[in-house]
Amino acid sequence: MKMASRGGVMISASTLATPPSASSLSTGRAASPRILTLPHSNSRLLVNHKPKSKSKPSAISPIRCGLSPQLKTTLDKVVSSHKVVLFMKGTKDFPQCGFSNNVVQILRTLNVPFEAVNILENEALRQGLKDYSSWPTFPQLYIDGEFFGGCDITLEAYKSGELQEVLEKALCS
Amino acid sequence: MGKVTKEQVESTLQSKLNPSHLEVIDTSGGCGASFEIEIVSEQFEGKRLLERHRLVNGALVEEMKEIHALSIKKAATPDQWRQQQESEKSASNAA
Repeated sequence: MKMASRGGVMISASTLATPPSASSLSTGRAASPRILTLPHSNSRLLVNHKPKSKSKPSAISPIRCGLSPQLKTTLDKVVSSHKVVLFMKGTKDFPQCGFSNNVVQILRTLNVPFEAVNILENEALRQGLKDYSSWPTFPQLYIDGEFFGGCDITLEAYKSGELQEVLEKALCS
Repeated sequence: MGKVTKEQVESTLQSKLNPSHLEVIDTSGGCGASFEIEIVSEQFEGKRLLERHRLVNGALVEEMKEIHALSIKKAATPDQWRQQQESEKSASNAA
């Protein structure tokens, strides 16, 4: 079944939006998802694991850049301004990782509107989120401003019905 | 730290979480990039699934720097594990 055209579950990404030109990491695809605005983000914060970026990582690039106060404030805002936020690899329509895809499919099955943020587009965000959530991997699901879990937890909670309960509570509040 | 082995993951979890049952599967075909874990430990008692996973992630914090994907299939207490084993057994007996 083709899920890509189910526009009904999409919600506006306006609070996350930046002008398309703002991101040097953007893939340049027309349908490319909008990315988080990172206040004061600069190239020094970027840790490049992939030869995707134009600038070469300098020798002093930190392996983990941690969580800057600005990024923390931004993330606080993002997770509290949407009932359900999924930080994932790829986009809703083009997940780039099986684990991320699993959670997208679960949320779609439950017909839950959710905000998806592609962490592959911003390395500082990707590293910072690991500290923010105290969670080492992606996807990361936030419900009602709280970290709910990764793929395994979401899947298990879906099977047990707990996820449905938590979502229902969150969406009604 | 270079390549992470199944044995390394096992021994780290063994020493930090003292599991009564532990199964680690290298799902990356031996290259150490992804693992599946089933773990039963008394330390999970009274903890939500999220907290249990956090315990496992915390125990493997060094290994996680090299591991790409860690899938925790089961994180149960000994009591839960026993119940699951019994219900599985009775299900297969009934079949």
